[in-house]
Amino acid sequence: MSKKESESGSAKSAGECTAGDTKDDKGLGLGVIFFIVAFVICFLSGTLLFPKLLYSKKEQPFNFDHRLHVEQTGDCESCHALREDGSFNGIPKLAKCQECHSETPLGETKDEAVFAEMYVAKEKEVPWYVYSKQPDCVFFSHAAHTKTKGMDCVTCHGPIGTSTTLKPYEENRITGYSRDIWGQNIWGIKKHSWDRMKMDDCAECHKKETGHQGYCFQCHK
Amino acid sequence: MKVDRRSFLGLGLGAVAGFSVSPVLLKLTDDSSIWTQNWPWTPVPVDGEVSYQNSVCSLCPGSCGISIRKIDDRPVKIEGLDEYPINDGGACLHGISGLQYLYDPARIKTPLKKNGDKFEEISWDDAISMVAGKLMDIRATGSPEKLACIADKDRGSVSGLLKRLVTTFGSPNFYTMPSFESYLELTATPLHGRGTTIGFDLENSDFVLSFGAGVIEGWGSPVNCFKANASRKERGAKLYQIEPRLSNTAANADRWLPINPGTEADLALGLCAVILKNNLFAGTAKFKGGFNKFSATLQNDYPLSKTSEITGIKESDIEEMATLFAKAKMPVAVFGKGRGDGSQSLKELIAVHTLNCLVGSINRKGGAFIQPVKNYLEFPAESLDGIAREGIAKPRLGRYVHDLVEKVNASSQPVVEALFVYQSNPCYALHDTKTIKQALGKIPFIVSFSSFLDETAKEADIILPVHTFIERLEDIPSGSGLAKTVVGLSKPVIKPVFNTKHPGDIFILIAKALDNAVAQNFEWVSYDKCLEAVAGRIWKSLAKDGHVILAEDVPEGSPEIDVTYLSGNPASVQSNGDGDLILIPIDNMRLPSAAMTASPFAIKTVSDEVLKGRDTVVEINPKTAKGLKNFDYVTLTTPVGSAKVMIHLNEGMMPGVVGMVKGLGHTFDNKYVSNKGVNINDLIGPVIEPGSGLDAAFGIKAKISRA
Amino acid sequence: MNKENIKAHKFGMVIDLDKCTGCGSCMVSCMSENNVPFKEDESNKKDSITWMRVYKLTNGKSFPETEIVYLPRPCQHCGGKGDHGHSPCVSVCPATATDYGYDTGIVSQIYTRCFGCRYCMGACPYHARYFNWWDPKWPEGMEKYLSPDVSPRMRGVVEKCSFCYHRYQAAKDKAYYDGRDDIEENEYQTACTTACPAGAIVFGDLNNPAHRVHEIVKPDPHPAPNNHYVVGKSRNPNIFRLLERLGTNPKVYYLSEREWVRKAGDNYLDGEWDKIKNHHGPESHG
Repeated sequence: MSKKESESGSAKSAGECTAGDTKDDKGLGLGVIFFIVAFVICFLSGTLLFPKLLYSKKEQPFNFDHRLHVEQTGDCESCHALREDGSFNGIPKLAKCQECHSETPLGETKDEAVFAEMYVAKEKEVPWYVYSKQPDCVFFSHAAHTKTKGMDCVTCHGPIGTSTTLKPYEENRITGYSRDIWGQNIWGIKKHSWDRMKMDDCAECHKKETGHQGYCFQCHK
Repeated sequence: MKVDRRSFLGLGLGAVAGFSVSPVLLKLTDDSSIWTQNWPWTPVPVDGEVSYQNSVCSLCPGSCGISIRKIDDRPVKIEGLDEYPINDGGACLHGISGLQYLYDPARIKTPLKKNGDKFEEISWDDAISMVAGKLMDIRATGSPEKLACIADKDRGSVSGLLKRLVTTFGSPNFYTMPSFESYLELTATPLHGRGTTIGFDLENSDFVLSFGAGVIEGWGSPVNCFKANASRKERGAKLYQIEPRLSNTAANADRWLPINPGTEADLALGLCAVILKNNLFAGTAKFKGGFNKFSATLQNDYPLSKTSEITGIKESDIEEMATLFAKAKMPVAVFGKGRGDGSQSLKELIAVHTLNCLVGSINRKGGAFIQPVKNYLEFPAESLDGIAREGIAKPRLGRYVHDLVEKVNASSQPVVEALFVYQSNPCYALHDTKTIKQALGKIPFIVSFSSFLDETAKEADIILPVHTFIERLEDIPSGSGLAKTVVGLSKPVIKPVFNTKHPGDIFILIAKALDNAVAQNFEWVSYDKCLEAVAGRIWKSLAKDGHVILAEDVPEGSPEIDVTYLSGNPASVQSNGDGDLILIPIDNMRLPSAAMTASPFAIKTVSDEVLKGRDTVVEINPKTAKGLKNFDYVTLTTPVGSAKVMIHLNEGMMPGVVGMVKGLGHTFDNKYVSNKGVNINDLIGPVIEPGSGLDAAFGIKAKISRA
Repeated sequence: MNKENIKAHKFGMVIDLDKCTGCGSCMVSCMSENNVPFKEDESNKKDSITWMRVYKLTNGKSFPETEIVYLPRPCQHCGGKGDHGHSPCVSVCPATATDYGYDTGIVSQIYTRCFGCRYCMGACPYHARYFNWWDPKWPEGMEKYLSPDVSPRMRGVVEKCSFCYHRYQAAKDKAYYDGRDDIEENEYQTACTTACPAGAIVFGDLNNPAHRVHEIVKPDPHPAPNNHYVVGKSRNPNIFRLLERLGTNPKVYYLSEREWVRKAGDNYLDGEWDKIKNHHGPESHG
């Protein structure tokens, strides 16, 4: 800041000298103020307001308590599991929920009522928004990471298993991607391994673990 | 303080600087580059659980086992079913394209009724009651025989139900479109007796003598033939191909013998003469019907020199071929030009098959199997009322579909009051399509059971749209010259995509809407229950395994061989008209030409030497071209019609012959597969073979002139 | 690429041209498997996208000596000069939208990375690469058959055969699930291979002596004595590769007993073929 101000100051004196104008040119001083004001406004809006504009918030169909379910089932794999062909089932389907909930009836919270009335009764799949949804060009093998290399879910997905509520899904208005791909930090700075899910983050880990960032087809289709 | 231009400059610079050091630029650069990769109109296929469901393809008579890959409930790929007794994992391009038929937006989505020139949508209830009402009117006049029906085949339970409907209604006028299966039965009947058919054991034969049979171009059960042909190379078996054009089969054969078009019967008889003269025939066969006379006449009528002169094949080649064939361990002669489902001469078919009889290849491994036509279905006996009994006792309008057409066109009174068309497209697939359309135009009431608005469906008054094979349960009996007989079970792998019905269910609904005399013959609640009941004996294993093998071994015993038909020395058909060239049809594996139309994928594979833009490309030998160059436009004129086509110079074409592909020139509304090229059936007319009454046109005289 | 490269696969195929019937099953199986679009007119073959294309060759003789043969042409997955992975297309891509997988020998194509300069198309000697001049459009409802295993392309990018890489991924996933290190030969087969009703295509690992493709091709691991750029030449004199002398080292081999067919695999000067036809493989030297 200070550097810029001094630059403006010197410009001002240079102006006075060359023009030899005796009129008091306050416009330049005002220019500095304008600059500072505009700078601050734009910087702040770029940092604080921009993310709010960039992402549209979408509420999940109803709340889901991950912690409760993990407590009941004991792990993530009870619901998010590899299929026998080695592919990953992702978000479980209604039938999976009913495996337990046919015997253990749903409770009486508002969310459970929504689930029962809107989806179970109508045999309709719940249109969950998936925070970690990657674009169509990405191939990701859960089997390779969790089964063969023994990675845990948290490394990429974070401590979602201990959450009791679902945060709103934030969709990038330009790309249509989930905010969790770029990460919550608008600068793209990550503190944890799960803070970002961009290609560079995959490559970084691959380089560290396998000595090579991998060939295109390893992760693209 | 004064606000001047420079202070605003400060504002602007500040804004730029502020945004520059904020994350906006970095993020927008990243986002906008991602944006350019993901257009919202590029579809993103939904992921899900992969599963496979087995079924049977019924697009053509090949009856291959298929495996349908699904993502959750959504079929995404059709592949050949491993270890299926017919195709063992292989698949043809049309079967693989099957899903393009299923999801085609050009499908008929709901019942339609013609109103003037347009079709309007009606409900199923209305449609069924309109059809039933019309039929009741016909029945009330006491002439139930005025209901006629054209179907693709008369085997299997769906055709069985349709035939039962027509019969119990009181009409003998049930017709099937020409098919290879029908020609096999027509050939077997005069030689081996009624109720028999022929299968060729190509996969074991060591010498296949093919009279234009497109063994690798869709003839018989196509994938089975591809496999047999590939194994031929490993077994060291020989294939000699006789036809005027270097087809794919000819190119793949050990020897190609170009023959003058339409002289195949003469060559076959000439070969028989050589075999008899040189005492190369197997004396074990049981001939009757005056074999000695037949033998003497043949040797008299077909001296080598004459056979050679007629066919254009060298005497030495004929003699060599006869000797190789007779001396081979397991030779087999196969007939049915092209795919074998086009017009054929019975004289030719019988003459070729007589070669098999002479060398003892009947019911021998690697030869021709004479089998009874297997009836594995047990429909309860039909109960006919007086009207029906009187009706079916009346004479049919003719033996074949073309007879029906001719009768309708010739009569000033309506000889047919109502016509059912099931899974066939006579307005496209029969010779001289103008006269077919003219006949259909004279029939007051036409009901089409079709999935697509094809040329014939467009002529209908009511269209009752049926499920595609991917959406329905059905027994699919094999045939088409396969050595073994397999009944496969086609299964619904997806809920109906549109408001269509199972054809079997439609026939049952129509029957139930008629008076009790007919309805009492259709007491099943649905087609599914009907199939379960009539397939009785084999149902359990059919449902469990997806197929049942009815016969696969060499049939026992040697059937009688009656040579009466040929002893009568029937006349050969000639191509009619004038013109210095002969136009012949070409069967191309990538272009279906019967009830099935090509899928967009199949059309995509068609060579630009066959279809270019919207033009059919015909093949001629450079010698015949007289200065014309590749892709020059010419007008091709025959006594039946004329068309503007492009030419392609092909050294594999016999001079004096023009070859035009079958399967192009559809005229319905589907920009991917229709309004491309010329339908050869617009240019070729039927030539009725004396003796058999078949349309045996092998081609037609033609002229070309620069367009 | 240390450990990985030691046990690297080198997937390739051999196509028996004497068995190929030109039926087109491989082309359609490929289109259906890989979400290849179609448009109203596909008769201009220069803009018709067919990852697998079946060419018709003739011996050029006149009736009745003329012969034809069909030659299916997928991407040749070139190893480049000396088989070092510098495929003609990979070398020229300014966007790294295509790379050489040293673990599989498969040349990739990443549609979202490609910006459509088409250098690779110019570099490819086999016309195996296709450009999307238009956005792919499926008639309403037909997009329901699209497979999630292969990403649909967009206007302005290049696409080509991937040796059905997604099938390799699926096979590996299954192996991971079962706790196996590697996949079996039959677990990874391309869509064209499985569809071919004539069994003319054999696909597998050219580095694995137990695989059928290796048994048939018998690739020579040493560079050809007269051209050190050429590696992996077949020891079977009836087997050739397209434009083999260029040293692009394709992984697609062709088999034919007919001499004119083998000769059609390259452009020879007058008399040149007669000189080299007998020096086809090292086997014929010894």
